[in-house]
Amino acid sequence: MNLGLTDDQRSVRELFAEMFANESTPERVRAAEPLGFDRALWDVVIATGALGVGISERAGGGGAGLLELALIAEEVGRRLAPIPLAETTAAARLLDAVGSDDGRDDVRDDVIAGLLAGALDGSRIVSLAPHRAPLGEQLLPDGAIADVVLALDGDTLVACERPAAVVAVRNLGSLPLARWTEPSAFTPIASGPEAVRAYDRAVDDVRVLRAAMLLGLAREAVEIGAAYARERRAFGIPIGTYQAVAHPLADALVNVDGGELLVWKTCWALDEEQPSGPALASMAIVFAQRSAWHAAQHSLHLHGGYGFTVEYDIQLYYRRAKAWGTVFTDPARELHVLADRRFGPALRPGVPDAPALAESSR
Amino acid sequence: MDFAEPAHWAALRREAEAFAAAHVAESMIVEELETGDGVNRPLMLALGERGWIAPSWPVEEGGAGLDRMESAIVTDAIRRAGGPTIGYGTTLLPANAVRAMGTPELKRAILPGVARGETLICLGYTEPEGGSDVFQCTTRSVRDGDEWVINGQKMFTTFGHLADYCFLLTRSDPASRGPRGLTMFLVPMDTPGIDRQPVRTMGYERTNIVFYTDVRVSEFYRVGDVDGGLHVMRAALEAEQNIAPAARTPPLFRAACGWAEHTLAADGTRMIDGPNVRERLARLAIDAEVTELLGLRAAYFEELGAKPGPHAALFGPETYVVWSAEIVDMVGPEALVAWDDAEAVAGGAFEFHYRSAVASTIYGGSSEVLRSIIAETHLGLPRSRPKAS
Repeated sequence: MNLGLTDDQRSVRELFAEMFANESTPERVRAAEPLGFDRALWDVVIATGALGVGISERAGGGGAGLLELALIAEEVGRRLAPIPLAETTAAARLLDAVGSDDGRDDVRDDVIAGLLAGALDGSRIVSLAPHRAPLGEQLLPDGAIADVVLALDGDTLVACERPAAVVAVRNLGSLPLARWTEPSAFTPIASGPEAVRAYDRAVDDVRVLRAAMLLGLAREAVEIGAAYARERRAFGIPIGTYQAVAHPLADALVNVDGGELLVWKTCWALDEEQPSGPALASMAIVFAQRSAWHAAQHSLHLHGGYGFTVEYDIQLYYRRAKAWGTVFTDPARELHVLADRRFGPALRPGVPDAPALAESSR
Repeated sequence: MDFAEPAHWAALRREAEAFAAAHVAESMIVEELETGDGVNRPLMLALGERGWIAPSWPVEEGGAGLDRMESAIVTDAIRRAGGPTIGYGTTLLPANAVRAMGTPELKRAILPGVARGETLICLGYTEPEGGSDVFQCTTRSVRDGDEWVINGQKMFTTFGHLADYCFLLTRSDPASRGPRGLTMFLVPMDTPGIDRQPVRTMGYERTNIVFYTDVRVSEFYRVGDVDGGLHVMRAALEAEQNIAPAARTPPLFRAACGWAEHTLAADGTRMIDGPNVRERLARLAIDAEVTELLGLRAAYFEELGAKPGPHAALFGPETYVVWSAEIVDMVGPEALVAWDDAEAVAGGAFEFHYRSAVASTIYGGSSEVLRSIIAETHLGLPRSRPKAS
């Protein structure tokens, strides 16, 4: 039992905290809107090897675990870095997991190795479709910028190439969302129960990394709110003196600190293949979604009308506090995933088990 | 970062559970529900024999030499078995203050008995006119030679009718206001002039109003400096605010899961298979997990000598009180049945939790005080409460 970070983990956190503070300023975040992608920043992140931190050394990665990635994701969240971190990191780890060098299928192994190498050196953006629906029926988190998307088709993991015409969808969180409606060329890279297991594990990586991003966002939203509440005066005193302003910020901070521990425990449990790992991953994303919204909402609110204007940074946080979670899941639905994982599958019908399809939701 | 429990924790937990099975009888649980004393002397003595009253004290001081996290395992096992822990758990707060700030003579007189489970110390902070504002103390102490004469009234002195001493906050400087001019004493409760009136709570607890009339206390029992009570109180309050003994979100979760797994719906399926129950229990599972993690964090920080902040003492009770209400809705009318009725489900646990939980958000000065501490010390916000001039 040790709740402290190692020196290496601390260095990772400090390195990325400093980098994003310098390279992902509010000006850069705004400049990257509405697409939500800063190519120059992405190149810097690729150059640090961030995407390979959680890749096995066999495949040329850093051999570290999910925790190091979560620490990076938290810093991405704090500075709203306009880069596609969660699904790309999960995709790279998925390629690493299904790749092998046993020589049984050289062609397939070469495809996987090629995809992974391209992802790590930044020549191609390889992302992940987090739902088991046809690509045309989901708004892909990195759809507007990804070159390849890994998806599960039945029990086959496929690498789909970006079709010719992809149109970015303008959206609340300034995320590079797009639907791949045209058929894309695809290559099967793994199949069978092991492929499904690896894909599910990758989606758990997405849960953890999105949770970490949301908590980083929430931490900074609390900071921004506290800084404003220390300066702004109403009725003759700083508004932070008023408990109705201060106390929700205190609750928000407790949620962030508690949620961070929950994320860290999830990283440990998944890396150590503890049976509690998947349930913890579901807990982490639900708790982070709730915490991030409450933190950003209160922080924006205490800015009064100013928080509502585009000049203030807090609106950047408020919009993403919702979008970063919703692009992955509805937390109420995720609660049923959690229930299945924690209490065993439901024996009574009545709850849908997949997101609404695009056509029927229009 | 490693959440794996060291191998010896499991052995310690088994040992504590075996102890609890042997010493916490059904009759003890019923007696506690009937009296609400929060105290069982034979259990305390048995714990004391093992060094488990003050498990984190060194063995030569009567403890078990355990770290904070190991100590929590022991206490948790007793609490899970339903044994009353309020008396000896509360005793440790002033005992630790004496251990840190008492004279060598006072330590020798008091601490061995505490560790053996023979001595109970109640808290005499709160007054009728000042609850969360604890430093608004009006109970007077006046020096008279080698003695002090105490007059005043204290509220919510839990187990004050059974305690051997009261850790009493008094105003020694009559010209002072607020946190200055206060002095702490360990008042022997058999001293003439102490009158206790029982106060029953809706949560099956008994507490007391205690009146002090010309109570003469030897200088020997003073803790800390004359007019220096703030220093002593601050340490004792911080100790209370950094732990979350009243955070019963996890046991509520376990009780609710037990009910849902073993109760059938009208159509013959288990309650845990119904979507409403699943969604609720999944949400509760998250709050229970975070409560446990924040408790672990508090113990871990304390062990390092760092200050964790009152996160656990805020989050645990605040979620507990919300869930104590929501689970009653989930279970339905049967949840309303009290423990001593044959129709009670889960031993009346849900009725008990609903009654009991509301008090937990008052410990440590109330959730509002804890939030203000976080806002001021962790977020740099201005102090919200007026300072006494």
